[in-house]
Amino acid sequence: MMIYPFIGFALGLLVGFKLPISVPVIYAPYVSISILAALDSVLGGIKAMEEDNFDTSIFVSGFFINTLMAGFLAYFGDRLGIQLYLAAIFAFGVRIFQNLAIIRRSIIKRLFSKNN
Amino acid sequence: MKDTTKAHFAISVVCFILGMLLVAQFRSVQISGGATISLQRAQELSTQLKTVTEERDMYKKELLELRNRLAEYENAASKTSSLTEAMKKELEKVRMLAGLTAGTGQGVIITLDDSNLPRQPGEDPNLFLIHDEDLLKVINELFAAGAEAISVNGQRIITNSEIRCVGPTIIINSVKLAPPFIIQAIGDPDILETSLKMRGGVIESLQVFGIQINIKKQDKIDMPAYTGPIQFKYFEPVKAGEM
Repeated sequence: MMIYPFIGFALGLLVGFKLPISVPVIYAPYVSISILAALDSVLGGIKAMEEDNFDTSIFVSGFFINTLMAGFLAYFGDRLGIQLYLAAIFAFGVRIFQNLAIIRRSIIKRLFSKNN
Repeated sequence: MKDTTKAHFAISVVCFILGMLLVAQFRSVQISGGATISLQRAQELSTQLKTVTEERDMYKKELLELRNRLAEYENAASKTSSLTEAMKKELEKVRMLAGLTAGTGQGVIITLDDSNLPRQPGEDPNLFLIHDEDLLKVINELFAAGAEAISVNGQRIITNSEIRCVGPTIIINSVKLAPPFIIQAIGDPDILETSLKMRGGVIESLQVFGIQINIKKQDKIDMPAYTGPIQFKYFEPVKAGEM
C-alpha cells in the first residue's frame, strides 16, 4: 500500500540517471532548497494519507507551489543580500521531522494493533 | 477506493519528480565541485601566464635598450676625451646609487625567522610570524644607521623596491620571499649592529614574540645588484631652472 511512493521515487532516480539532465551551476543552491520543499511536501502527503484526510489537489498544488516558492525565495534572498533560504531550510526542516514523527507513530500504532 | 488510488498516483508522480530533481542536483553539485576548482586553477594559470609574458616582453625591451646604450658608449669611448671619462665616472656613481652594480664590503648579516615559541591556544598566530612591517622596520633602521646597500634574500633594496605581504610570503622587487629572511647590509658593522640592538629598538620589540634574530658582523659581504627592470612610464625629468 505504501509501496507506490518508493516505486515512483526509484523510477525517478533511474530516469534521472539515464537522462543527461543537470541543473546549471548557478541555480544549484536554489534547487537544493526546492528539493527540501519537495521532500517536505511528499512527507506531508504521506502523513495526510495516514490521517485519512488526503486531498490530491491540495497535495499536488502544495508540492509545486512550495517547491517553486522555496527556490524563488532563496534566489530573491540572494538578490537582496538576506539569507532567506535559511528561513526555508528551517521551516521545511522542522516540518519534515514533525511529519516523519507523525508517520512513524501512526505506522507503529497500526502494526501493533494488527499484531494484537 | 478510487480516491486512494488517485492519491497513490499523485504521490508516486511527485516522488518521481523528486527523484529526478535529486539526481539532477546531485550531478550538478558533483560537476560544480570539480568545475569551480578547475576554473580557479585556469584563472590562476592564465594570470600567471600573463604576468610572465609581460615580464618577458619587458626584459626583451630592456635588453634592446641596454644594447643600444652599450653601442652608444662604445662610440663615445672611441673618441676618448676627458668629457666622456668624466661622464663614465659619473655614470658609475649613479649606477651604484641606484643599486644596479653588484658590490662588496664590510657589514652585517641579519637572519630573521618565525617564532619557535610554543603557542598558547587562543593566541593570535600572526604575532609569531614575520610581517612586512617587521622587515621594513629593520631595513629602515639599517638605512638610518648609514647602511649603503641592503639586500633581502638576494633582492637588492633600491629606491622603488616594495616590501609587502602577499599571503604567507613577502614580496620584494616582485619576487616572493619566504622566511628565513637573510638581510645583508653594507656599512659600519658596529654602528649597524648597535642600531638594531638599541634598547626599545626593533630587535627588542620583535623578540617579545620569540622571532628568531641573529646578527653577524662580516668583513666581506657580496651584495647582489638589482636585476629587475627599471621603467619610467610616467616620470619625466625636468631641466634645472624650469620648475
